[in-house]
Amino acid sequence: MAIREMDDLVQHGLDRVVELMALAAHNSIRLGGRNTIKMITVGREEMEMIAEFCFSLGDMSPLAARDGRHMIDLIKEPCSLLIIGDKRRSYFNYDCGACGYRTCRDLNRAEQMESLTARGPSCQFRNINMNLAASAAACAAWRLGLHCRVFSTFGFAALALEIIEDVDLVVSVSVSAAKKDPYFDRHKFWTTEYWEEIFNKEFPTYNRGFIGAIEE
Amino acid sequence: MSMERSIKQFEADRMDAVKIAARLLLASATTAPRVGGVGECTIHILDDECDIEDLCQKVEEMATDNESWQFFLRDAQMLRDADAVLLITSLRSKTDPADINCNMCGKLTCEYLREAEELPREPAVAYPGPLCIFRANNIAYAIDGMISLARNLGIDYGLFWSAGAAAMRMGLLPKNTGFAMAVGISVTEKSPFRDIPLQYAHYNEKTMHDRIIRRLWPQFRSIYS
Repeated sequence: MAIREMDDLVQHGLDRVVELMALAAHNSIRLGGRNTIKMITVGREEMEMIAEFCFSLGDMSPLAARDGRHMIDLIKEPCSLLIIGDKRRSYFNYDCGACGYRTCRDLNRAEQMESLTARGPSCQFRNINMNLAASAAACAAWRLGLHCRVFSTFGFAALALEIIEDVDLVVSVSVSAAKKDPYFDRHKFWTTEYWEEIFNKEFPTYNRGFIGAIEE
Repeated sequence: MSMERSIKQFEADRMDAVKIAARLLLASATTAPRVGGVGECTIHILDDECDIEDLCQKVEEMATDNESWQFFLRDAQMLRDADAVLLITSLRSKTDPADINCNMCGKLTCEYLREAEELPREPAVAYPGPLCIFRANNIAYAIDGMISLARNLGIDYGLFWSAGAAAMRMGLLPKNTGFAMAVGISVTEKSPFRDIPLQYAHYNEKTMHDRIIRRLWPQFRSIYS
């Protein structure tokens, strides 16, 4: 009888679950009855690029920097990243106004605004459909026992690095088969001293008590 | 126990099942992920048929407010057959942008979004945007949490934005609601949300019942008795 080692089993299981996640996202419920999302998974090399990009945004976005550092740790153990994107223009003709334009036609004619994170303005319902797909993928991963978290930051980075092309909006679902759930309670990124310093800076009255106006 | 009594019991139990299921779906939608981990969605249950009828009438009324909303008539008819309607709101998308400058709204920064001119509150505008799309996307996760459990429970469901917009207009939802959608649920043998023929607003179970049973059958009885 052929023996397969645990690492091999886990990696193959992970690959199959990611395929099932893509299937769940592909078939998720949606408004308008049309699936226009685009999906890719990326390997270690692309994940390293995404991690470095996120980390490089540290001055602008501490959140992206934290997620970049997190991904460097993540890729030390079996993991995968499903990136889901969609175009920004509306094909619904709902004329709902949520985007700030009176009609879908007005939205589709509006000037496209470029940025590192997304191209706007975008149709609210296309966003809803894309995130329904992400949620369906995350739900599939959760039920099949993978650690899972939805990341906007990795999606933004994939768009900026042109890892996913021909889309305007992106979200990502990160999954891991690490021995400990890596996505929550990521305390190791902060020393106690740094945490206390930043907490006291952000919530000064918590420990000081409210003493009225402060003269700088 | 007579057959009639047991059938009535089944009907009562079915409605109990709807009420329990609606609350479980509320739980699943509430605990679904939120972007940035910031809570902003509320879920409201309509499981009284008079309340559902009020909502349906508002949906029908809105069908004439915008020529793109003709399908609201069909939605209203489908929702009339729902046993309960769950309304999901986004409370921060209008008043509290996510402050991550994601540009999904096309304004580049959240400050520009705050300064952007709001669409007037006119009948032809369902959601007076622009909204913080990043915030409003939370509704997608709440809805998928709800639908994921509905599938597991074997509950039929349908997704409607028309009823969400109508509920906002009726003032049923919290005042800060910027975006809302609705999920209709049904515990019946034939889902009211699937196999919808054309002109459903005119030809549906209720109109067929009214036309065939309530109108023709009494005439048939009168003539042939």
